[in-house]
Amino acid sequence: MKSIVFDIKSMNDALDYASKELRIQKDFIDINVLEKKGVLGLMKSYKVEATINVYPADLGYQTLKKLFLNMNVDAKIEMKQRKDNQLIYTIETDENPLLIGKNGKTLEGIQLFIRNLINAYTDQHMIVLVDIGGYRENRKKQLEILATKTAKEVARSKIAAKLEPMNAYERRIVHMKLSDWRDVSTVSEGEGSSRHLVIKPKRR
Amino acid sequence: MAINYEQLIADLIKPLVMNPEDVMVKKFSEENEVLTIQVIVNQDDLGRVIGKNGRIANAIRTIAYASASKEGKKVQINIDSL
Repeated sequence: MKSIVFDIKSMNDALDYASKELRIQKDFIDINVLEKKGVLGLMKSYKVEATINVYPADLGYQTLKKLFLNMNVDAKIEMKQRKDNQLIYTIETDENPLLIGKNGKTLEGIQLFIRNLINAYTDQHMIVLVDIGGYRENRKKQLEILATKTAKEVARSKIAAKLEPMNAYERRIVHMKLSDWRDVSTVSEGEGSSRHLVIKPKRR
Repeated sequence: MAINYEQLIADLIKPLVMNPEDVMVKKFSEENEVLTIQVIVNQDDLGRVIGKNGRIANAIRTIAYASASKEGKKVQINIDSL
């Protein structure tokens, strides 16, 4: 749990101070007095510890649960922690296509939001993955098929091929898939939302 | 049951901010199936709610947009501080 230790003159200010320092709302902070300083009520100050009283992973879970409730969507959310810094939310709903969106746009939005929320509550950099209806696994398979097909064509024709813009995660799948090919090489070109992969023939 | 967009957006934003008591979400017009929603947060929280390059704001918009499309509506969200 993320925490800080500090000295303060009045206990009334402790929570305000901790909230500003931790950049967390007061409801999620517990204050503990470690030590009272000063003699005979003179120069009084307190040494206190402020600790975040909520598990970031639980907060992510609760936020997702509320979101689906507010959307009137029936959802089952499973949470898994892998290693120290990886959180995976696997979601199954009665409205999967709606929540995935065109090219996974809505799913990306949900994942980005939850990742950001969780990382506001921890010092550690957490990798947060959200999957709905097995979309990510399916998309990976599709991209690998696309990569193989396009690479074969490039190897045969010796003409470079440009793929649609993709996010870093998707580009990585294609890079990895083609990394051991002898006839083609892959590079990413363009910036921001137009960043895309180019599959090039290797000269031999 | 109709979706309560004010509640939906407030429930997303409140856990993220330092001053949840200052979060105000107000639905304005609902003309031609287009909803306009005004979000007001504390000055100190504006950066966190908007995010780098507006990424968090856009994520909130995308989520709200998907929710609205379920009811055949469109939604527009303005985020500001007092």
